[in-house]
Formats: sequence, structure tokens, C-alpha cells
Amino acid sequence: MTVHHDCDVLIVGSGAGGATTAAVLAEAGHHVLIVEEGPWVEQGSVVPFSLDQMDQQYRSGGVTVALGMPSIAYTEGRCAGGGTEVNSGLYWRPPEATLDSWRIKYRIKDFSTDDVLSICEEVESTLSVQKVPGEHTPASDILRRGADRLGWKNDEIPRWMTYRDGAGATEGHRQSMTRTYLPRALAAGARILCEHRLNKIVRSGRRAVSAELTDMTAATDGQNAVTISFRDVIVCGGAIQTPAILQRTGLRHRVGRTLAVHPTVKLAARFDDVVNTPDDVSVFQVKEFAPNISFGGSASHPGLVALALTDNWRDFGSAVTSWPELAIYYAAITSEGRGLVQVVPGVRDPLVTYRLTKRDRDLLGQGLGRLAMVMLEAGAKEVYPSFKGAPVVRDRADLAAMTTMFAVARASVMTVHLCSTAPMGDDDKRCATDSHGLVRGTDNVFVNDAALLPEAPGVNPQASVMAIAIRNARRYCADRAG
Amino acid sequence: MREVQTIDHPTATIVTGAAGWLGTSLVTALAGDGRHGRNGSVRGLVRSEENANHLPKTIELIRGDVTNRASLDRLFDGLGDGPIDLIHAAGVIHPTASMNEFDAVNHVGTRNVMDAAHRHGVRRVVHVSSNSPFGSNGARNDRFRNDEPYHPYLGYGRSKKDAEIAVLNAVGKGLNAVMVRPPWFYGPHQPARQTTFFTMVKNGKFPILGDGGQVRSMTYVDNLIEGIVRAELVATEPGRGWWIADAEPYTVNEIVETVGDALRSEGFHVKPNKFRLPNVVGTVAEKIDTLTQRAGKYITQFHVLGEMNKNIAVDISAARNELGYDPQVALVDGMRNSIRWCLEQGIEL
Repeated sequence: MTVHHDCDVLIVGSGAGGATTAAVLAEAGHHVLIVEEGPWVEQGSVVPFSLDQMDQQYRSGGVTVALGMPSIAYTEGRCAGGGTEVNSGLYWRPPEATLDSWRIKYRIKDFSTDDVLSICEEVESTLSVQKVPGEHTPASDILRRGADRLGWKNDEIPRWMTYRDGAGATEGHRQSMTRTYLPRALAAGARILCEHRLNKIVRSGRRAVSAELTDMTAATDGQNAVTISFRDVIVCGGAIQTPAILQRTGLRHRVGRTLAVHPTVKLAARFDDVVNTPDDVSVFQVKEFAPNISFGGSASHPGLVALALTDNWRDFGSAVTSWPELAIYYAAITSEGRGLVQVVPGVRDPLVTYRLTKRDRDLLGQGLGRLAMVMLEAGAKEVYPSFKGAPVVRDRADLAAMTTMFAVARASVMTVHLCSTAPMGDDDKRCATDSHGLVRGTDNVFVNDAALLPEAPGVNPQASVMAIAIRNARRYCADRAG
Repeated sequence: MREVQTIDHPTATIVTGAAGWLGTSLVTALAGDGRHGRNGSVRGLVRSEENANHLPKTIELIRGDVTNRASLDRLFDGLGDGPIDLIHAAGVIHPTASMNEFDAVNHVGTRNVMDAAHRHGVRRVVHVSSNSPFGSNGARNDRFRNDEPYHPYLGYGRSKKDAEIAVLNAVGKGLNAVMVRPPWFYGPHQPARQTTFFTMVKNGKFPILGDGGQVRSMTYVDNLIEGIVRAELVATEPGRGWWIADAEPYTVNEIVETVGDALRSEGFHVKPNKFRLPNVVGTVAEKIDTLTQRAGKYITQFHVLGEMNKNIAVDISAARNELGYDPQVALVDGMRNSIRWCLEQGIEL
């Protein structure tokens, strides 16, 4: 038995790109259907940054790997609201210089920096972007204190959270997509099918005509087929799934060729006091070396502390029992390298590869050394860098041993910011879509998510993704009446 | 220039490595009647076999060696009760006999000098360090901040890192010592290997690796002396260290072009530099350098070539702010002075 749906616009994915697109289109009168592979999980029903959350709201239980030397682990949200349900909630406008350079280099039409920033302002108001009114977590204070002692620039990054008056960092309410743009879309008449996996978009020449899906909630295999007919389809599956979907649809021009990420390396640091806040991350970032290198706090749930110590478990493992005194931090770089996303026939997940350049490797080492120094200055008793064979760092002399031994190939490199696999712009030698997300070679297949960002923005990308998605959705509504 | 609080000249200033290339410039300035001239005595530590005929006659020479602890006590004989400052400029950059010289002279020698200074109640010590304990910048637009993690580059870097730690340990025991960190310095009294550099540029044969856009901070020797004297006489907390360099870093292309211009303005015929090598040559040279150093040998050419494709660029704002350091000489004038000095000495370029 096959279930069939009809709609004007099928939106594949419900994260920062899909949810905003759905809200703008539904409010303009389009008949919108959203399909989402993951479940709808209410905020608060799962502990933030926990292994349980990784299991429920991430793809593949939390960790997927981009092959290369070294391999880079990455995570993707897989739930209603996508990555916005599980990320750190930190909000950074795209830097003006970045927008200017994208417009010129990729020939993006009607992409004035002022227009993008004015959409950012709207987003900031909708999501209640603000700083913490009350106390910061110890993990935040550590980063600020260490950087201040070195005279290194650091800032509190605002978050899209609501707080009661004077509330501390851990008392905010995340204004993720399931709290904001998805309810708006649904109120305007959009529908959402969760736990529906897209298998295929059926194409006839330049037009996509229908989609074939699997309903993963159906009890038996014979009853889980779903087809959807639409006028237009907008793919918002994130920087890994979007190019995979396009490639399976036979759309390959500049698709999945230019994956950009912010590679990161990590360390755990132990202090004399209890510093671990399992359900929150630091809201401070050190931007002294931006855009090359940035430092911030990582999720430090006990399970993740254990994970951070596994690179040298023989020497580091005993520290796990004092996890309340440990916090995890990262050094992220803007990378010159690029990666590939390629579908492999018969395999569900695409093959992802990424190549770091020499500069990238050098910067990761330099970043980890500088981050360890911030920790020592903040009063860390021991620093445990995440690479195989790493020494415990207790003072500056140990730091010399650590930086000498560091090799990227032995490090646990990971990333959460994935983008640029279907870049937008009028330069068709570089770009998979036109300046507003219409995929080249098609009349009605659009992309509207992180895949459109022509490069990694050097800051948390959610604001850039949302602003660009809203811009393109409005253009769509101006071009096609609801 | 920033106002800073200074202390009086000491009655005696001791300079280790006085006959070396930095030491010669330094003691000449301290014993002269220029702006760094001082009334107190200037004593130089010189190795027993070392030629010191080029030093000003007003310098009191003490024969000894930083590797010989007992010989260092002689530096303090008969100096009386007035304040004594010590500038530790002795060091090995390119060892001649064996790799052990790095550790023996740069590391253990520094420890010995710090101990002696502490024993004899020296008022202020300035240790001349290097960029090498800190390695190189990951990106061309990165600048080393004043405080950076150690990431020593090969044998020299390790020994200069250990020297810094020896200084910091002595500070922990109560010695008032600070450090200056000059990258690649140049100027009059330079050793023969830097004269070779001029000759290579003149003949259009200086090896530029890749696009030549690597970024390097350099220090004209008079700027360095300015930095050393300020580190000595400006009241700061012990244990501090500062980058002392020309105001801005240069690219390798700029360096080669500027030296070419300086040579031309001194009347030389300079051939256009067309000697470009792929970056991989630098990588290979570095590998050879690493392997030979591991085997206890040191080949200057491979070391220099291996470092040529690195970025070593520093931010001097801490020295500006804390010491009032304000470098007056930049590359073109500094290089012209060096070339003139070579000509005055009858050195053929």
C-alpha cells in the first residue's frame, strides 16, 4: 500500500534552512509539506548535550566520519528542527567582509550585505538573541579568565534563548526551530511528516515531479511507501544530505565538490574546583586569532569527557573519575582544504572525504598549543590534549613537549559546521545553484540550507544559514504567487 | 613614544658573548659616547682563544666560558658595591664541532650564567633569547603574540627553549631577569654567512622558495640594542620576555628586493633574481636537517634552506607598551648600513 500526498512545495528537511523556508512560504499562502527523517522531540524531554540526545536526535547516534588523513568526525542533527535542536545555540552574524567577498567571488546577485544583515536583525528578534543576564558557568569563566590574563580578545557570544530576569546561563530556554519557525509554518497551514526518509526525487527533464519516501513509523515493510507530488521541491537536508539527494536525482554540476568545514581539535582541562556543567557549553569564545583560529567550549557531559580522554587512555583514563573537575574545549580553524560528498550506489550514506592542507595542519597544532596555554593561565592543574601519545600538560615546559609531539594524523579532528556543498551564485564554474538557490539544469529544484554558503563563514553558521534561507524564500514568493 | 619608568645606569655592565656578533655591537654602543653610552664600566666575557682585537679598548675583557661555572665568578672580581647589570648575549646558532654545543652553551651555559648572577647579587639580567623556541606561524597572516606556547624548532630551538626555562627557574629563586626575543637580526659586525647573503642577492642567486610570500620579522642590530637596553633599564616585573624586531615583518620577496635596492644604491650592479625553487625543496631540506641533527650532525646550508619557507612574524606591541620600544630603522636603511660596514672592512661582496 502506498500513501500519497499532494502539495505546492515539498520541503525536504526541517532545520535552520527548511523551517525558515516553510514559515515564509506558508505565510505567503503556499501549500507546504515538510518531510523530516528524524522524530519530533520536545525540548526538555532529553538532556541537552547528552549521549541520550546523540542517540535520539543525531544521525548515526552522533558521529559520522569524513575519510582522509586524518579522518574527521562530524555530527548532523536528525530530528525536527535539525541541528538547531542540538547545537550550542550560539549566534554570530556572518561577518560583513565575508558577505562582501562571497558576493564578488561567486557573483551572487542581489546580495547586498545590508539586506542580509537586516534579515539577521529580524531573526535576532524572532529567536530572542541575547546575552546571559545572570551568572556564567565555570566553563565560561575559565575561557574568559585565561584569555584575559594573556591579553587575548574574547567575547561572550549571544544565544537564541529566553531567560527570566537575572537567570543564569543554564536556565535559558532554547528558541530552536521546533519552538519558533516550525510552529509558525504549521500555524500558517504547513504540514510536517516526521520520520519519513526521502529515497528518491523523480525527474522528467528539467522538472522534478514527485518524491518517493519511506515512512519509518509504519509497522511492516509493505505498508511504508509514500509518494508526494509537488509543483516545486526545496532541498534543505544539510550540507551532507542535500548534495547526496541531488546526486541521486542526477544533478551533479558542482554538487558535493566543495565541502567546507571548521576543523577542530580538543583538549580536556582539570581544575581544583568543580567546573563541569554537563548540560551546557561555554558562551565565551576567544577571537584573538580570528578568523584563522577560534577557541570555545565543547559539551562536557561525563560520557564526552571519557571520549576526550580515550586518545591516550593508558595515561589519561584515571582522570575520568574526577570528571566534575574537567571541562572540554576546542580550537577551530578556518580551513583552506575542501572535501567531497559522493553517493555510492546501493549504500544509504554518502562517502565523505576531506583533505586538510599544510597550513590547516599547522594551524590546528598552533591552535591546540595556544588553547592549552589559555587553560594553564586560567589555573588548570592538568591539560589532556586529544591526540594519540599526548603528554599530560602541567606547565609551560610540558607545553613544549606537547607541541613537539603533536601531529594532526594522530589527533581526534572533528567538526560540527558543515557547508558549501551546493554553493550559490551566478558564477556557474563555481556554483551548483543560481544566486537564489535554483539548481542549475532544473526549473523547480531548489536548495535552501547550509549547502548554499559558498565557504565556511569562520563563525557559528546558523545565523548565516537562516538569513540566506529567508532571503531566498522571499525571492521565491515574489516570483511565484501562493 | 610611551612614557616608561626607568632605573639608573649600573656602575658595571657585564656582557657575555662580548666578542660575538651581537656582543660586539652591544659593547661598542655601551662603551661609546652615543645614546647608549654609559659612565659605568663595561666588562665582556670572552673565550680564552677568541679574538677580541676588534672590541673597544675601554672594555674590560674577562677570559672565561659560560660552560665553565668557576670561570664566571671572575666576571665579578673587584666590582665593588654598586649595582651590576648583566646582559647574556652568548650563544651558539650554527655549531661547528657537534650538536652538543647547543645544549652545553645555550642551555647549561645560560643556567650557569643565571646562577652566577644570582650568587653575585646582580641587579637586573637581560637574557637574549630567539624566535626558535616558538617555531613558526601556521598562516602567513598570523603574528606571534608576546606570550606564546613553546614549540621549539629543532636543536637550536630546543636549547633556547631550555635556556628560557632556566631563566624562569632563576626568576623563581629571586633573580631579577627578563628576556628579549629577536628574530633573524642583521647589521654591522655581521658574520660571514650574512655577507654570503648579500653576494647571492647581488648575483641574482638567492633561492626563493615557492612564491616568496613567506613572512619574516627581522631586527636591525641597533633596534635590538635599543630593545636590550630598554629591557635592562625599564622597571618591569622579572620573568617578562618581549619580541624585539623591526616595526613590521617583511615578505621574503621584499627582503630580496630591498637588499637588491640597497646594493644598487651603494653602486653595485645587481642581477635580477630569478632563482626560484619549488616549496618542496624547503620541505626536503628541513627533513634532511632534522635527520642529520638527530644523528648529531649539523649542516648550516640545509638548516637555513629548511627554514626559508617558514613564516616567522611577530607582534612587537608589548615591547612598545611596556618598554617604550620604538624601532627607528627599517630594512632599506639597515641593509645599506650593513653593506657600507662590509665595504669599510674591506669585505668583498
